[in-house]
Amino acid sequence: MPLTQLAGIPADRVTEDAIERKLYSRDLASVPAIMVKPFFRTLPDAVIRPGNAEQVAETIRQAARERIPVTPRAAASTSYYNSVPVRGGWVLDVNDLRDGIELDTERQTVRVLPATTWFDLDDVLQQKGFAVKSYPSSAVSATVGGWVSMQGHGMGSLKYGGVGEQLVSLQVALPSGELVTVTRESDPPLDWFVAAEGTLGVITQVELTVRPRPAAESHHLFAFDDLNTLGRNVVSLACAEPRPFTIFFADSGYLRLLARAGFHIPLDLPQSHFPVSEKGLLLVSFQGEPSEVNQGKDRLTRVAGCELSSDLALEEWNLRLYHLRAKRAGPSLLAAESWLPIDALHHYLKSVRTLAERSRLLIGTYGLAVAPNMALVMSLYPTDERHTVKYLAALGFTKRLHDLAARYGGRPYGVGLWNSAYLPRLFSRTRLDELKRRKARLDPSGIMNPGKLYQAPFPLWPITFGIGATVLGAAHIALGREGP
Amino acid sequence: MKDQAFFEGLMAEAAICAYCGYCRAVCPTYAGVGWESCSPRGRIQLTRLLLEGTPLTRDQMTRLYQCTLCGHCTQVCPTRIDLRRFWLEARKQTVARELSPQGLAAARDNVAKTGNVYGYPNDERAGWVEYMNDAPADLYQRDQAGVVYFVGCSSSFSPRVQHIAESFVRVLDAAGVDFTILGEGEVCCGFPLLAAGMHDQAQAVIEHNLERVRAIGATTIVFNCPACRMMWLEEYARHLPGVRLLHSTELLAELTAAQRLPMKDVNRIVTYHDPCDLARNSGVYDAPRAVLAAIPGLQLVEVHERRERGLCCGGGGDLEMVDTALSGRVAARTVSKLAGTGAQTIVTACPQCVRTLTRGAEQTAPDVTVKDIVELLDEALDR
Repeated sequence: MPLTQLAGIPADRVTEDAIERKLYSRDLASVPAIMVKPFFRTLPDAVIRPGNAEQVAETIRQAARERIPVTPRAAASTSYYNSVPVRGGWVLDVNDLRDGIELDTERQTVRVLPATTWFDLDDVLQQKGFAVKSYPSSAVSATVGGWVSMQGHGMGSLKYGGVGEQLVSLQVALPSGELVTVTRESDPPLDWFVAAEGTLGVITQVELTVRPRPAAESHHLFAFDDLNTLGRNVVSLACAEPRPFTIFFADSGYLRLLARAGFHIPLDLPQSHFPVSEKGLLLVSFQGEPSEVNQGKDRLTRVAGCELSSDLALEEWNLRLYHLRAKRAGPSLLAAESWLPIDALHHYLKSVRTLAERSRLLIGTYGLAVAPNMALVMSLYPTDERHTVKYLAALGFTKRLHDLAARYGGRPYGVGLWNSAYLPRLFSRTRLDELKRRKARLDPSGIMNPGKLYQAPFPLWPITFGIGATVLGAAHIALGREGP
Repeated sequence: MKDQAFFEGLMAEAAICAYCGYCRAVCPTYAGVGWESCSPRGRIQLTRLLLEGTPLTRDQMTRLYQCTLCGHCTQVCPTRIDLRRFWLEARKQTVARELSPQGLAAARDNVAKTGNVYGYPNDERAGWVEYMNDAPADLYQRDQAGVVYFVGCSSSFSPRVQHIAESFVRVLDAAGVDFTILGEGEVCCGFPLLAAGMHDQAQAVIEHNLERVRAIGATTIVFNCPACRMMWLEEYARHLPGVRLLHSTELLAELTAAQRLPMKDVNRIVTYHDPCDLARNSGVYDAPRAVLAAIPGLQLVEVHERRERGLCCGGGGDLEMVDTALSGRVAARTVSKLAGTGAQTIVTACPQCVRTLTRGAEQTAPDVTVKDIVELLDEALDR
C-alpha cells in the first residue's frame, strides 16, 4: 500500500527511510543476522508514529483492510523481539502517546497515556502525594502500556501484586480499528490484554490504582555465606507480615560481573571465581506508614545473614534500576529470565552455581520475590557479540538455564518470538487454546504483532530448537570457559 | 545514577550499549523529533553503521548533530558509557567521512578567518565596552592582572547577551577585583569546533588563547560561558599549571561569601535553570545557588527538574547552528516547565541558555523574563 494513501496520518509521522527502519528492527537483544534473516522479516516496510489514539486506530484500520502486519512498539526494552516485526509490515511507534496524567485523589486512581515511563509516572505522582504500587526494574525507560502488555511483575509486586491486579480500565485500539474501553466486566474483558504482548490490539490509555506516597521507607542489606540460607530467608520474608515492598537477592556470580565491569561491590570476593563462592546478598525494603515499616524492621532480627551498613543498603536500593551495568563486563550479556516457585529458589541458585563450577563459566543470578510464592530470577553470563561464532554458541546456552529453572517448576518470563520455543512450558494446552480463541475472535486477519506468542515459527519448534540450542550450548561451554 | 563513566572506543562502547533506552527517555532532542534515529541509542547504532562502512547520507548523519551534548544520557546510562565523549568522537568520524552538516563548515571557516563563529571582525570583540556609560579609560584591557575574564563569543557579539558581559565587569569592579579582558586578543575557545568534530581545527585557537593569557600572568581565568570553561578545563588546563579556571558563579560565590559585594533588597521571585555544561557536565550546582541566596529579598522557587536532572535549553552542542527549529522546540519545553514554578524571572548562568530560553519564552511564556545571574547581581548592587 503506498503510504501516501495513509489517510488521517500526517506525512511527517511516516517514514520509509531504510536506515530509520533498520533501527526499528531490534530490541535489547543483539541477534546475529544468520539467526534472523533466513527466517524472519524484521525490517519493517514503514514506521508510523501516531500522535494520538485516533491515529493509532486509523492506522490499524487501514492495515487491517490491506492485511498489513502491525507491530506496536514503545520503549522496546525487552529482549524477546516482542516489539520487533518478524513479518515486515508497519511498526507502530506509539511513543508520542505519553504523559496525559489525570490523578483522581479520591478514588486513588490515575489515567495515563501508554508510552509514559514508570519513572515519569511515579515522579509526577510523588509530587502530588501519591506513588505507583509497583514498577519494573527498567522503570526509567519501560512504559506503562508496555509493562501491562508484558508480564508486569517487578518492584513492589510482592506487596501490591502484578500490574494486572492494579488495572481499572484500558483504552485499546482493536485490530478492527475500533477504539474501545475495556474493564473487568466488559466484553472482551481487560484481562485479555494483560500480557497479550500487543497481539490483540494497541493500548492507548491505562487507568490503574495508585497508593499514597509512602510516609516511611527502610532498606536493609544482608550478606550470606551460603545460598541455601539466602534462599530460605527469601522464602520466609516473602510471606512475612508486614509484607516488604521488595526483596532483592543476588549471588556471587552477579557481584563478580559487577566487579569485572569496574563497579564497587558490597562484599569481598576471593581473587579467583573458582571455586564459585557461595556468598550472596539480600536487600529487603519496606515502604508504608512508619509503624508498618518499624514492624517490618523488627522482623529482620530473625534474618540469618550478616546485616551490612545502612549506607550500603541505601546505595544498593538506589541502584535497583541499574542492574544492566553488569553488561560492561561483556561487552555483551545474555540472560535467561524465569518465573520460579520461591521455595525452589535455593535449589535453583545452587544448581546455577554447580553448572558454573562444572562448566567453568561466569554466571550471575539476581532476582526479586514478586509474590509470597513466586520469584523472578535473571541468570546472566558475559559474551561478546563481535565474535559471531562464540556469540551464537552463547545464545544456545540460555536453554541450559531455562532447563534448570524448569527442573524446579520455573518457566520463562515473557514470550515474544524467542521464548515461543518454550510454549509447552509456558501454557497448558487448554490455556493456549483459550488464548488462540481470543486471538481468532479479535484479530481474525492476524495482523497484530504476528508470529509471536501463540505458535513457535520453524526454527523455534521445540524439537529443532532443542537440538540446535543444546549443541550450541555445549559449544559455549567449550568456547566460553573462564581462565584458571 | 552517579558513578564514573567509561569510554573504551566507539565500537567497544557501541557493543556495550544495552539498547535499554534509558538515554532515550531523558533525551531533549529525541523528545523534540520522535524518531528512533534521534535517540541516543539510535545514534550509537548509526555510529556503528558508519564505522562498519554502511553507506549513509549527510541527512542521515545529521542525527548525530541533533544533540545538545547536555549529558543527561550519560547521567542515566546503566552501562556507564561516557556518551558526551562518544558523541564528540563519533562527530570526528563523521567529519572524516565528509558527512557533517554543511552549516558547520561555515562556522569553521569563520573561526579560521575572524576568530569567532559569527564571522564578525574580531576587532569588534570588545565593542560592548565602548557602549558602556561607566567604562574606564582603559576599557578593561590591562597588560597585567590577577584575573582574566574570558568573555566568549556569545557575550562579545550577540546583542541579547552582551549585557551579561557589561554586568559582570561592573560586578567585578564593585568587588575590587584586579581583572582584565583580552579584547581583540581573545578568539573563540574552540568548543564549537570540537563539538562539530573538528578537533584539529581547534588547535590553532587554543594555542592563540594560551599565548595571550600567559602574557597577562593571571592566576585565575573566569568565564561566563560554561562551555568555554569546560573547553578550557579539558583542553587548556594541562598547559596552565597553577591557574584556576572558574565559572563566574564560582568567583561570585567567593566574593559574596567574603562580603565584597554590597547589595540592596531585590524583591523578586525567581527560578534557577541549571546550564548543562555547568551543572550536570561539570558538577557546579551549589555556587550559583549560594550567589542567589546572598541577594537580599530574592526568593528562589526551584523547578522539580534541577541539578543532575536539570533540563536542557536546547542551545548546546552546535544544535542552534544545525537545526534552529529543534533548538527552539527544546527551549520552549524547558521554559514551560520553568514558568510552571510561577516565577516571573528565569535565572541561569550561561549566555547561550539566556539566548535560547529567551527565544523559548517568547513562544510559551511571554511574561517571563530570562536573565543571567550576573545581570541579577548587577541590579542588586548597592552602589
